[in-house]
Amino acid sequence: MTTERKLYLRLFLTIIIGMATAMGLVRLVTYLNNASGSNFLGRVIEAREALPEIIAEEKDLVMVFGSSIVRAGYSARHFDRTVNAMGADIKSFNFGFGGLNPYFQDYLSRRVRESFEQESRRMRLVLIEFNPFQTTKTRWRRAEQVTDSFITMLTSDEELLEIAFEDPERGALLYNIKYLRDNVSAQMITTHLGGMFDEPNQESDRPGMNEEQQTRFDEIAGILNTAFEEEYPDYVPSQWSYEWQGAGTVPWERPAETVAMFPEYYSLLQNEERMENDLLFRIRTADAVELDFEEVLIQRFIAVVENFKPIADQVEVILLPRNPEWIDYTPEVAARLQTVIERIERETGVPVRNHQLIDEVPPRAFRDTTHLGRYIGDIPYTEYLAEQYSSRLIDN
Amino acid sequence: MLFNTPLFFFFFVIFIFFYGFVFLRKIPRTYFILVASLVFYGAWNWKFIPLLMFSGVADYFIAQAIGAADNQKSKKAWVSLSLAINLGILGMFKYADFVLLSVQDFLRLFGYDAPIATLQWVLPVGISFYTFQSLSYTIDVYRGEMEPRKGLVQFTAALSFFPQLVAGPILRTRQILPQMHAIPTPTWEGIKHGFLLITVGLMKKTTADLLAVPVATAFDGTGPVSLVETWTGVLAFAGQIYGDFSGYSDMAIGLAILIGFKIPLNFRLPYFAVSPVDFWRRWHISLSTWLRDYLYFSLGGNRTGHRMRNIFITMLLGGLWHGAAWTFIAWGFFHGVIITATHYFSGIKAFASFNGSPSRGITLLKWLITFYLVMIGWVFFRAQDIGSAFSMLGDMHTISGLPAPASSAGLMFGLVVLAVALMHLLDRFVLNKADWFESKKWLFWPLLALAMGLCLLVGKPSQEFIYFQF
Repeated sequence: MTTERKLYLRLFLTIIIGMATAMGLVRLVTYLNNASGSNFLGRVIEAREALPEIIAEEKDLVMVFGSSIVRAGYSARHFDRTVNAMGADIKSFNFGFGGLNPYFQDYLSRRVRESFEQESRRMRLVLIEFNPFQTTKTRWRRAEQVTDSFITMLTSDEELLEIAFEDPERGALLYNIKYLRDNVSAQMITTHLGGMFDEPNQESDRPGMNEEQQTRFDEIAGILNTAFEEEYPDYVPSQWSYEWQGAGTVPWERPAETVAMFPEYYSLLQNEERMENDLLFRIRTADAVELDFEEVLIQRFIAVVENFKPIADQVEVILLPRNPEWIDYTPEVAARLQTVIERIERETGVPVRNHQLIDEVPPRAFRDTTHLGRYIGDIPYTEYLAEQYSSRLIDN
Repeated sequence: MLFNTPLFFFFFVIFIFFYGFVFLRKIPRTYFILVASLVFYGAWNWKFIPLLMFSGVADYFIAQAIGAADNQKSKKAWVSLSLAINLGILGMFKYADFVLLSVQDFLRLFGYDAPIATLQWVLPVGISFYTFQSLSYTIDVYRGEMEPRKGLVQFTAALSFFPQLVAGPILRTRQILPQMHAIPTPTWEGIKHGFLLITVGLMKKTTADLLAVPVATAFDGTGPVSLVETWTGVLAFAGQIYGDFSGYSDMAIGLAILIGFKIPLNFRLPYFAVSPVDFWRRWHISLSTWLRDYLYFSLGGNRTGHRMRNIFITMLLGGLWHGAAWTFIAWGFFHGVIITATHYFSGIKAFASFNGSPSRGITLLKWLITFYLVMIGWVFFRAQDIGSAFSMLGDMHTISGLPAPASSAGLMFGLVVLAVALMHLLDRFVLNKADWFESKKWLFWPLLALAMGLCLLVGKPSQEFIYFQF
């Protein structure tokens, strides 16, 4: 080997070893901080991995797909029990995921569609939640930091390749994040570290309880935790539980005294100060009151609906209950929302059912300004859904 | 393709493999540099490769024609053609719409509101850099400072040499063309220095990207921010543009060194300057010397009795080189004013003695004044428009009437100061201690890997370099 070749070999190896070492340091830091893709989208990943099992179910399938509002507000097992008691034979699943705006939901729904199409399986009913404040400009802007990471976790290899062909620079970046960085982008880390400079989204430490209420709250929380451990000794912690069909516990399998504690627990949480604080958080992170819609997210939501149409007998879009005591729309905002709803109906041909202000779910059924509380909110709303949809799920 | 992206890393690894192990002779290596450079350029937009090649091929043959011409008139005609081609391309792509829209705005002042159709052409990345580099060849040959050399491939490879193609440094053909003919062999010492420069450049670029946040708070917000956040934003921009551009230059120089090519220094601690003239000797050296040699001297330089005018025109056009906007013209104008003012005051005895004083206190004062003036200039450079620039200048010098600062404003200000200072200290270390550092293997390689790891850990790798737009 000539001297020059030896030199280039040394140069070549230095580049490779140097970059491998540097990348190893990155992995070490993320590992030590317990940062990995599964930490950010664990529930989504678990749900996606459960798809083959879901498809293999013999019963007719129902899926409620959406945001954390669905996660908190829909009890799959309660729905199944209610409609099956009426003569249906279905199994439903809660596919509600926090932190996924329609841009990411689009990718996830493509994976659901692929899995179902692969097995030529169809669902009896799919209810897709349209969450107005998941489609705002604020939501879109705030998702920028996680976009690359989430894309690497939600796209298929073919989609990633397609991106790489269209934009090689972005493609290489995404491959790097996916295969060398365990789905954790540099931008995500930067945003996390830069968090100390952000103005707080909430007025921190404002539980809004006096000392007596705080003591009582801690006491109830302790009792509920102990009760859970005793009542579910075999529970394997997971973010998306197949056993519970992606949702939480149900009141009818728990002792009456445990269930009776939930209303008091939530009434302590629903104090003025804490709710104001939560509202501020929703406004700052999602523009929940003004609803300045982002076109990209609306288009992506329409794509989500289109993804489900080929694999379901019936698809409907629903707006889950809103807490009108805290999130109240001006006529202009309401009109803006109505325009978007009409557009979704027009472009997808799928009806949109607005459940935002139904009598069955009063303001006290919420645990905060947007999410329904366990048992006090998810059960009444699930029963409302059962009433609305059971007739369509029962074979004549 | 950006240096700080995974795509470039893969590109460069493949390049080194073929360059070092497959193409072993000079001519194939030159061809390979040309092809690799076009791939590098084409990754951004392959449609503009013909434009780059046209500029190079035209100037290659014009230089040959100048060399072959037997009279001054012919030489002048050929160099004029080169100027017309290069400045014509630059004008059409970069300035045509700006001129048309300015004419439209001007006519509006007199009540004529006729819409003027604009070209709306995409600005080819790096056009300002490669047209200037290409022009330097024909002008040097015309002036007799360089002989035209045979070898179209060598010339086009030199013009499109990927480390410096899209954001400089602006090389003179006489600096790079002989190297392209010789195809130098790197040394291990050189390679180590190249790695050091690449790492330092990447650190500065990463820092610059992080500084973009306070810059946006001050410049892109919907309304005024507090006094401390305004100053933080301006200072952060000073750091951002320095880290971004000098970081790119460092990486370009380092990458070239890895394959044995030498590219001259483009920045020499500019924020340590103690006068506006000194600043321009340290900032974007390849542009300021290009403007000096090919514009200022062509205008007559110091000799015609119009020194101030020539400086002023040079700075004004230097501002315009950065972009087709009134803000860049204002920036050039401002620097023209402070440089001519410096020269003017240098002629006054009292000022000259102040200027020449060895006192540390006076040096510190001069540095402070210069840094302040440079910061004022950056406001014009970064602002969305002239009105916003003046508004921000007002905010920078207002004590009351601005909103209260955010709770973390003080901490942010401190970190920005630290970032700007660290970038300069890093550069100073490279300038003064590189040999020592590179000789300590046990320290050199681990620290480089650590620094590289830090740069990969944070930032936004796809963040474009600011100077790409020029």
